[in-house]
Amino acid sequence: MKAIVITESEAAARELCGGARSLVDEVVYLTFCESVAGIADKCVRVSVPEGIAKEAAVDTMWEVVKAEDPQIVLFEPTRRLKIVVGRMAARDGASVITDVMAFCDGSTQSMYFGGVGLRTCKSLTAISFCSVSAGAFGEVSPSGTDVVEEAAFAAPAQTVELVSREKLPPADVDLTAAKRIVAAGRGFGKEEDLSLAREFCKAVGGELGCTRPLTESETWFPREAYIGVSGLMLTPDMYVGIGISGQMQHMVGVDRARVSFAINKDEHAPIFQKVDYGLVGDIVDVMPKINAKLA
Amino acid sequence: MKIAVMVKVLPDDQDIVATDDGQLDFSRAKNTISTYDLNAIEAAAQLAEAEGAELVAVVAGPKRVDDSKTRKNILSRGVDSLCILADDSLDLADSRQTGRMLAKIVEKVGDVDLVVCGDGSADLYAQQVDVQLAEALGWVNTNAVVSLKADGAAVSVERVLEDEKEVVKMPLPAVVAVSPDIALPRIAGMKDILAAGKKPVVTYSLEDAGGLEDATVETLEIKAPQPTARKKMLFDGSSDEGIDEFVKALKEAM
Repeated sequence: MKAIVITESEAAARELCGGARSLVDEVVYLTFCESVAGIADKCVRVSVPEGIAKEAAVDTMWEVVKAEDPQIVLFEPTRRLKIVVGRMAARDGASVITDVMAFCDGSTQSMYFGGVGLRTCKSLTAISFCSVSAGAFGEVSPSGTDVVEEAAFAAPAQTVELVSREKLPPADVDLTAAKRIVAAGRGFGKEEDLSLAREFCKAVGGELGCTRPLTESETWFPREAYIGVSGLMLTPDMYVGIGISGQMQHMVGVDRARVSFAINKDEHAPIFQKVDYGLVGDIVDVMPKINAKLA
Repeated sequence: MKIAVMVKVLPDDQDIVATDDGQLDFSRAKNTISTYDLNAIEAAAQLAEAEGAELVAVVAGPKRVDDSKTRKNILSRGVDSLCILADDSLDLADSRQTGRMLAKIVEKVGDVDLVVCGDGSADLYAQQVDVQLAEALGWVNTNAVVSLKADGAAVSVERVLEDEKEVVKMPLPAVVAVSPDIALPRIAGMKDILAAGKKPVVTYSLEDAGGLEDATVETLEIKAPQPTARKKMLFDGSSDEGIDEFVKALKEAM
């Protein structure tokens, strides 16, 4: 059995190549970014010329995949790769199974309605194309060769012209690495009140995240801070949800927390059924008291 | 210019209930427009208004997606007409089946310059139907679009990706999947809703669209997740003891 792993980031390259090894005997790593050494049996790199969108790598990459003839293609769920691998699957008469959280006995598990359900499915085509959520393979260590082959770029018939590209400033928030996560929800009526959550966060040494309304209807938070439908599965030691009702789509992302807490003024809020310790009280009333005791 | 916006109609996830035996009960969940498709409709409507373009909405799904309230909901949002293909064989259709079915409808609508899709559907969030649709039509596509401007025979598109942003120019015809941030969905007024009832709706049968492609992914099971067991201890924040107990538990976990 052979797997092709396609990634953009180094972290995903390591995780997916290591994880692929637990599914198949041969791992080929394919990328249009800087390649990572020593993680697969073979590494193939495609350089996309300047001035066109990087997704133009699809034709070249598809030729590589066909030549390698794998049973499975695993990829990092980035926006670009969803296009590149999605197009490959379409050409192969297949569909991508997206954001797989676990592989078992030839089937895959992924979220349904953002975590309201879990969906088990199976690819019916010769090649299974799967994007893999971070953490799906647990702790894995990849191994392999340092040799990198370069696949000659073949331009697709139609290309999208790149007008400008710039790096986004690095995200201030990295919830995936955080040991303690504090999440703010709709219970914060005013942006000023968030200082209470920030102070609390400092006291417990946590990272601050939020639920969807606070990144979309309000612009109080960067998108990276959002815990919900995106498929972000977190495994912190501690989770504290403040002013959060406890919608499935949010709770599923923090279900793997070791100990969990909630603060909400409504004693019937569903979140209290999904945490270890709950405190019933108004944020503006109880948060200063808690912060004072933690200081 | 003619724009087509793809709309998924789904049970409202607020009303999906997990039963005691771990199944999902959809019986109380009414039809709703998949959340991010509301942003796609609005983005398409704003572009259509700016360009004086025609905007057609396309819905494909199982039979239950076609009801008069859903029709009006879609048509009250700046959409000129609606095409619906409602057939139960589309229940749990995979992204290839859906994408290729939508491509057939877009071809039937004819002379479409731009297809607008949402960021991902509320149920699967696969972010793949736009890609399959583009491949089936043989058109260029892009995703993560936060702004959209017509530029002669092209569209100028701003994208926000994981750690970079870019502006690309796409020749038409093209398919774009837009981010939720692109536009805030409008609240339709009574006048819009009344006018929606008079707008044209075209229904297609599965045969009109050349039948359904073979499935490429099989859904084996959908069930409610088993959440981690929790202690569920509740303290009263109006008393000092309640807050003390809560803080004690916090300190122990730190």
